[in-house]
Formats: sequence, structure tokens, C-alpha cells
Amino acid sequence: MTLPDGQDQEAQNEAAQPADAPPPSGEAAAAPPEKPAAKAAAPRPAKEAEPKEVARVAPPAGSINELLAAAAPGVQMKAYMVPWSPGESVAVEVGRDDLTAVMTAARDDSRLDMDYLRCLSGVDWQEEGLEVVYHLWSFTRRHHLTVKTRVTYADPSVPSIAAIYPGAEWHEREARDMFGLHFEGHPNLVPLLLPDDMTDHFPLRKDNPLQEIEEWQGVNLREGAGEGDE
Amino acid sequence: MVLEQGHAIEIVDMPINMGPQHPSTHGVFRMVLAVNGEQVVDVTPHIGYMHRGGEKLMEAMDFRQGIGYADRTEYLAQFHAELGYVMAVERLMDLKVPDRAEYIRVILCELNRLSSHFMFMGAFGIDAGLFGTSFTFAFVQRENLLDLFEEISGDRLMYAYFRVGGLAWEVTDNFVQRVHEVLKQSQQGIRDLDDLMTKNEIFMGRCQNVGAFSAKQAIAYGVSGPLLRASGVPWDLRKDEPYSVYDRFNFEIPVGNYGDVYDRYLVRLEEMKQSIKIIEQALEQLPPEGPIVPEKMPRRLRTPPGEVYAKVESPRGEWGVYLLSKGGDKPYRLKMRSPSFCNLSALREMTIGQYLADAVMILGSMDIVLCCVDR
Repeated sequence: MTLPDGQDQEAQNEAAQPADAPPPSGEAAAAPPEKPAAKAAAPRPAKEAEPKEVARVAPPAGSINELLAAAAPGVQMKAYMVPWSPGESVAVEVGRDDLTAVMTAARDDSRLDMDYLRCLSGVDWQEEGLEVVYHLWSFTRRHHLTVKTRVTYADPSVPSIAAIYPGAEWHEREARDMFGLHFEGHPNLVPLLLPDDMTDHFPLRKDNPLQEIEEWQGVNLREGAGEGDE
Repeated sequence: MVLEQGHAIEIVDMPINMGPQHPSTHGVFRMVLAVNGEQVVDVTPHIGYMHRGGEKLMEAMDFRQGIGYADRTEYLAQFHAELGYVMAVERLMDLKVPDRAEYIRVILCELNRLSSHFMFMGAFGIDAGLFGTSFTFAFVQRENLLDLFEEISGDRLMYAYFRVGGLAWEVTDNFVQRVHEVLKQSQQGIRDLDDLMTKNEIFMGRCQNVGAFSAKQAIAYGVSGPLLRASGVPWDLRKDEPYSVYDRFNFEIPVGNYGDVYDRYLVRLEEMKQSIKIIEQALEQLPPEGPIVPEKMPRRLRTPPGEVYAKVESPRGEWGVYLLSKGGDKPYRLKMRSPSFCNLSALREMTIGQYLADAVMILGSMDIVLCCVDR
């Protein structure tokens, strides 16, 4: 970007900021500065439109969640679409008591045949509890599925799937380290990434503050981020 | 056991500590091997020496800052790490990346695969006892590639060149010519290493039938990348779930037959040749000019609430980024699915029953990046 353009943008930024207006879009920035008001007004509805809650779209008929429901009868599950890169994927939420049945069915049922555990992540949803997310893939059927289960802080116990997917062993140890999840039936649930004696401190929980310097970096660098020359 | 003189001897498995500062652990990694004579009966890997809480740090960074951290996590496949991260953000923001940017991304990623595999060849040769020859051969080539990356991004290792929506800036004017030059040198480098190692009697003796891993075991342990392909599973995200513009190129996925250390080496060697094939096609198809960021690029990087799992085929396997957003300019939670971490979790299974001297070869053949394991 040439220098004069940059200057224009800065001037425009200063003009726009105190008015508490949404930042001008790229289109507005490129426009001549004569009529900024008319251009700046255009993207305003977009900001209001930014949703606060995720819209849950039910998977279309014939999706993988129906196969799972058939393979694991009697299991309560909530299915919806989630973005996947590329494309989209189906996520199912199940209760933790059903988790072992669901995972066993996902691996062993020939219609699903999900033999590969891609990823296992812990998530801290604060007042909504802790969540474990499993990403599964089938080499033979070539389809993917996300399974989620949620527990409370008071009782962060989840059945271990290390017996079903041996690769989950380290993932579960990591989730224990970071979120204090307890994986029932895990063969060796000791700290993996953290020191051996660090069993009561869970760094990735949201109530665990970053150190001062890290907060400082985050806050100071974040100020004005996105308003620069990109 | 009772000797003739009547003295009883108790035979116990001897624990041997290896690491964390050991030349062949490729980083700060420790494993405790229990050996019975020369045979390994148990392995306890200890990781976490380089755990910096990267996922937590990235929650405090906005979507631009996180790119730099992705670099520092996977420091031998930086472009892949960046790509996985920006792809996740782009998918959530629903951004369409311009073609020219996609092609440049692919070219750089494949060059990065070359540099990473050169690094593997060099270090693995040392593990196998080729002393410095393979290392110097490989590092000459890696240096050429790093020079090119430096010309483009301004940095030898931490590029932060891929940005959400496209690229940070245009490539240099002589980019195409420079890539051709580097490719020519790399081809020579691959030939040199091939001549030096592939049919080397000692190298073959050290590698063949060592650490064999079946396809079934590899899948169960979540192994990905060249290790999985060496075990005979033709799975490559570039083909199987094509991202970016990988579906526009012709290339093959090499697979091994035995899943041993030698196959892993061969798979990587062949992959380098395929990468060159991809780059040559990408250079032909590369639009000579055009935008490198979307025309309607928002000035603030804000995502709607939601989640996405993005993944790329890094030189070590599936590099996944699971991004959860509650809206705003920062991730709510970011999980990096590190291929090194998942591959390393299979080390115990691979090493038990092997000879002590081969433990080094097995670990070397995994080509782990400890920063990526520990995050």
C-alpha cells in the first residue's frame, strides 16, 4: 500500500473511531474520503447481525448420525451440523454414561467402521461445565463424525476410551493435565505434559489466569489490532 | 538361574535412561527403557519439557497474533502450521482465498515439505551411523530452501507469511525463476541422498525389519503421515480431503509394504519427488497476477461463534486445528492436533521387543518435533 493511501486511512480511522461506528469495511476504506458517512453507514447492520449464539442446524436425512442411532439404540443424542474444513461435518452430543456404548458402536458397527481417533480435545465452558470432543474418521467408509460429551466441574469424570482407541491414552492424559478431567478406567492417568507432582492445577481452565506479562502482551498488542494496514 | 558353584543370580530388567539431553532424541525428550540383555521390554516416554501452554497463550492472542505462535509450535513445517491455523479462521469467517494466494501457499508448503524432509534425511543418517555426510548433504539443500523463504517472508524460520484470507504481501518479482532454481538444486540433493543412503548396505542393515508397525496398529494409535503410509495405508489429506487447490494437481501417494524404519525412509524420499512434481504443476498454473487477499477483506478479524476443525497434511502427518469461537477477535479455545504427539504415543508399542540400539532408529524414523509434541 502506498503512503498517501495509508495516511488517508489513518485520518479516516481517527474520524470514525470517536463516533462509536463500526470499522469501515475494506470497500469503504478504498472509497474517496469525501462522503465517508454514506459509506460507513452501509456495514452497520452487519455488526448487529453478528450472532451471539450458534444456530444449530439439524443434519439432513441420511446423515451419519442416523447410522449411529441405529448402531447404538436407546442412546439419547443431539445432532447438528458443524463447520469442517473443507465442507461440513455432523456433531452429536451424548451423555457421558452412553459414551462407551457410542464409541464401541462407532468403531465396531460395520455401517460406521470409525477406526481412527483423529483428535480428542477438552474444552472449558465455565458455568456450562467441561466438555470432551472426539473427532473420528473411518478409513473404509471415508466419513467423519464429531462426538461430544459434557460433565460438571463437581464431577469431572468421563469414561476412558483408551481400551477402544489406544491412541486416546495420551490425549486423555493431556486433557487430565489441562482441564482436570478424570477418565474412568484409564490404564495410567498420570501427568503427561506437566510435572509429576502437578496434579491439582489445571492450566487450560478459564479460571486459571495468564501470567501478568502474557496478559500484558495480549491486551497491548490487541489494542488497535485489525485497524492497521491489513 | 543357578550357576554350577551354587551361587544364585537374580536376573532383573535394567532400566536405562535416555535423554532429555541426548543427541538422538532430536530435542528435549526422555525415555526410560527397561532392557533384558539387549532387548527392550518396556519403554516409558517422558514429554512435556517444552510445554509452554501454547494453546492457552493463543486464547489471549487475536487471530493475527496466533499465526506467529503456530510457526513456533511446528518449527520445521511452519507454512503447514500457519496454513492449518488460517484455514480454520477462514472457514469460520467464510472467506474465499484468491487463487493466486492459494497457489503460492501450495508452492511454499511443498517447498517446506522438502526442507523438512531434508532435515529428516540428515538427522536420520546420523542416527543410522552415516556420521556427518548425510547431514551436510541435506543441510546444503535445506539452506537453499531457507534462503528462498527468507527472500519471500523476511525470516529464515518464523515466517508468519500466510495471513487470514491470503498472504502478507506479494512474493518477490523473480519468485518463479527462484523456485525453479531451488527445485533444480533440490533434485540434485535428493539424488545425492538417494545414492548415499538407499542402497547402502549398512544403512539397510540398520533399517530393515526394525520397528515394523502394521496398518491396524498404526490406525489404532492415531498415527498419521509418512509413518501411516509406510504401514501401507494410502492416506494423505491432500488427496483424501483435498484442501486449498490440491485437487488440481497430479501426484501419487507412496506407500510402504512392511511399515518398518526403512519403509518410512523410502516413503519420505518418494514424497519429496512428488512434492517437486506438485510444485512444477503449481508454477505452471500459477496466475501471473491477481489479488492475494479477498477483495472484501474485513478490516477486523472477527469470527462468528462456532467451531471448526481444519487440518492439513504436514510433513509429519495430520496437523489439525480445532478452533472454538464465542465471537470476537480471539479463539475461545484452540486445540492443536499435533501429528508428532500422536505418532510419539505409539513409540512404546513400536519399541517393545526391539533391540536397544534400534530404539534410536525407531525414534529417529518418527521425525518428531518436540515443540510440536509439547506445545
